[in-house]
Amino acid sequence: MEFLGLAQSQLLTLLAAFGAGVVVLYILKLRRRRVPVPFARLWARVLVERPTTTLFARLKRWLSLLLQLLLLALLVGALGDPRLRGASRPGRSVVLLLDGSASMKATDVPGGRARIARDIARRIVRELGPNDRLLLAQMDAEVTALSPMTDDAGALEQSLAGYEPRDTGADFAHALRFAQDALRGMDHREIIVVGDGAYDPPQDALGAVRLEGTALRFEALGRRGRNVGITAFAVRRYPLDKSRYEVMLEVRSWSDRREVLDLTLLADGAPVEVTRLQLDPGATVQRVLPDQSGANEALEARLARADGSHDDLPADDRAYATLPERRRARILAVGEGNRYLEAALLLDEYLDVQEASLAEAPQRLRSERFDVVIFDGATLPVPSGVGALYLRPEGEASPREPEPAFAFAPRGGALGFSQVQQRHPMMRWTRDLEGAHIGRIRRYHPRPEDQVLGSSEAGPLVIAGERSGGRFVLLSFDVRESDLPLLVSWPVLVINAMDWFTGEDANYLSSFRTGEVWRIPVPAGVEHATLTPANGGPALTLPVVEGRAVVRGTRAGLFRLRAGPDTTLLAGNLSDPSESQCAPRPTLTVDGVRATRPTPGRAGVRRELWGYLVLLALGILFLEWITWHRRVTV
Amino acid sequence: MGLLEMFRARVSLAPPGEDDLFDDDFQRRLEYLSVASRRLFAGRLRAERKTRRSGSGIEFADHREYHPGDDFRYLDWNVYGRSERLLVKLFEEEEDLAIYVLLDCSGSMGHGGPEKFRHARRLAAALAYVGLSNLDRVALLAWSSRVTRRMPPARGKGRIFKIFEFLRGAETDGETALADAARTFAAENKRRGVAIVVSDLYDPAGFERGINAIRYQRFEPMVVHVTDPREADPGARGDILLVDVESGESREVTLTSAMVARYREAHARWRDEIDGFCKSRQVPYVTAEVTGPFEDQVLNLFRRVGLVR
Repeated sequence: MEFLGLAQSQLLTLLAAFGAGVVVLYILKLRRRRVPVPFARLWARVLVERPTTTLFARLKRWLSLLLQLLLLALLVGALGDPRLRGASRPGRSVVLLLDGSASMKATDVPGGRARIARDIARRIVRELGPNDRLLLAQMDAEVTALSPMTDDAGALEQSLAGYEPRDTGADFAHALRFAQDALRGMDHREIIVVGDGAYDPPQDALGAVRLEGTALRFEALGRRGRNVGITAFAVRRYPLDKSRYEVMLEVRSWSDRREVLDLTLLADGAPVEVTRLQLDPGATVQRVLPDQSGANEALEARLARADGSHDDLPADDRAYATLPERRRARILAVGEGNRYLEAALLLDEYLDVQEASLAEAPQRLRSERFDVVIFDGATLPVPSGVGALYLRPEGEASPREPEPAFAFAPRGGALGFSQVQQRHPMMRWTRDLEGAHIGRIRRYHPRPEDQVLGSSEAGPLVIAGERSGGRFVLLSFDVRESDLPLLVSWPVLVINAMDWFTGEDANYLSSFRTGEVWRIPVPAGVEHATLTPANGGPALTLPVVEGRAVVRGTRAGLFRLRAGPDTTLLAGNLSDPSESQCAPRPTLTVDGVRATRPTPGRAGVRRELWGYLVLLALGILFLEWITWHRRVTV
Repeated sequence: MGLLEMFRARVSLAPPGEDDLFDDDFQRRLEYLSVASRRLFAGRLRAERKTRRSGSGIEFADHREYHPGDDFRYLDWNVYGRSERLLVKLFEEEEDLAIYVLLDCSGSMGHGGPEKFRHARRLAAALAYVGLSNLDRVALLAWSSRVTRRMPPARGKGRIFKIFEFLRGAETDGETALADAARTFAAENKRRGVAIVVSDLYDPAGFERGINAIRYQRFEPMVVHVTDPREADPGARGDILLVDVESGESREVTLTSAMVARYREAHARWRDEIDGFCKSRQVPYVTAEVTGPFEDQVLNLFRRVGLVR
């Protein structure tokens, strides 16, 4: 016998307290009920024959006391919820992980995998044992608890409404660690995974996930994975002609048959190109569509079977990309004229280049607003926030003080770029810089916060840094004293510099991957941003951390990010081959343990005794009532 | 329209709930009844009873010896002429009857609810009305351990409303002592007549002493025993405290059904004792149960025992 309700100590306390009360009430002199009679003397004729308190009457009182104590013991015992020790069954602590990754949007089974998963979860909840408790969680790129750990089947079924697959992969390792944490310290732990089983091995930075005695159950669902998807989609503007762009996409087939597909490219919602693709089973096709135009902000790629049918996973049949904003930058070139520089600047039609002599430059800098000022030799103070390109600067306004003497190339040789920081936006696509020859340079001493983007044995060649709130790039040599203008890298370097100054990041991402954390730059001073699906839907308020709005992308599509006065268009794509490969896996193995199928809770016969105790108490009450009513015990 | 209807049409003496001591139909039936008397009492007014005395009656009744002081006008000279004996002629004369209704107002009359005392008051009112209807003199007395209230003799049906007022003002209180009250009553009322005792007879000293006191003072007692059958069973069982409503005397008892049955038998025996006592003294005795039909009790039960004819 064991008690699952109140503890034994509590039961004994209750029994002692109420039992003492009952006994005291019986020990106390009975307060008799007053019954007025019109003529007591007539009663004397009867009462004289019978004393008021006979032995039988006392016995009846003791019998009544014993009945009361028995009733009390039965009721207190019922409060303890006693169970027969052999009949009680241990309850399980279960975490039910519902796969909410993109592959659960597959339609290979009637109603879709998500509906089947919801039905399976509902069945598991209904099959819980009387002592089982379960926590429901959705597993995708992150883990979302849909319910607390509870044995309330109704609440669990209600929380199933919160389950909805997302356009992300499944972080199985993270989900398992979450489940382990939720079950820590509990007995009879179980993790039940309901999904297609297409997960990466559960391993993360902490190593492989260990089950540590937790039982693993797996309910596989899904029938097949006949799918074709867009696994990569990107677009970029040409650096020298930002009105045009090229598109790169990758289409992959996981189908077991030859697929004939129509790939449609839409520019700002309007179809601009349709390409027919034929993919053998397991084939991958990469396409670069060069020299495209017509889109100002967004591109969309759609994949469809030529026969009009649908593959098993529509989620990866569309991909989106956005184009960087085009803006004309105002450039002021100060100097006596540099044809190499002017030629390089002419390559970018979005640069509004104006020239000024050293004498007229101060006036123009005061009266006009420029994005970048280029100083060829001479220098002037630059307004705050304006970028500046210095070509071997001289004078007091030089950002970094030069040494008075030049460093010359060794006889019979030349100075060149011995080191280049190719990862810096300024130095992208400038691999042939190493072939440049420079006659002489002036040595500048960079500060610790500066970046030396290129250097020779004689000293830094390209220094990038910030001054007066604006960026600057310093070339320590005169391009006319080098063969750099003859290299492709020269105009690229100049255009890169202009882009770097004007914020046109060569690292611009045309799309984000769902499941990852998106960090979107926002204007300074903005504390939060709002993300809204472009095709309508609820807006999401995003925090801004270190100048970037942060959100974990869970949906594919186009989004508008409103941050202060600016509105930015974003694209999110699934781009996850592991999800596109949606063929189910019938087994699941973790920590060397192969998961078994979920087992229903052992409901069995509820050997609860409290009901019988209450019934017995009611029976005694009934007996007491009968004896009282028939005046047997009164 | 009867007298009562005329009066009620003008004045409503009864407070709410009390005006149904007698309804109109009941009073009309009572008008045809009169109180029967076993004896003929001398009255001061001519009434519907016959008494033999020398007076202004018409119908000759008898002779008696002449005593000094008798009126010479009633000497029967014819008899003197034949037998030389002075005899006075006696005539039967209709005279009124004095009826005294002695209403028990002790605490036991109020026990168990208002029905018992209410019933007693209605009985008293009915008796009084019957007497008034027959031109008898009716007086009411409320008593417990003593005579607490009095209503002087009244005559004529028009006085019934005074009787109603008197009865409405009666309240139950105090212990029962019929003998003391009877002595007081006899001392205060010189004119003999019928003394109708309306009581539950719960007299600790014994009601017999009270009845005898009435008899010894040459009144003709009649006993109307108001009983409530519920008093034979207090309804309670178990450990109780029996409390006498009049004396406050209490007694702890463990009451069982068997004990109640014995009490019921004792109660019945006590009533038999009362009946036996009254029969042995030729005192008309009738029991009036509060749960019984009041009209039948008044009209039929009283007639059966000779209270009304």
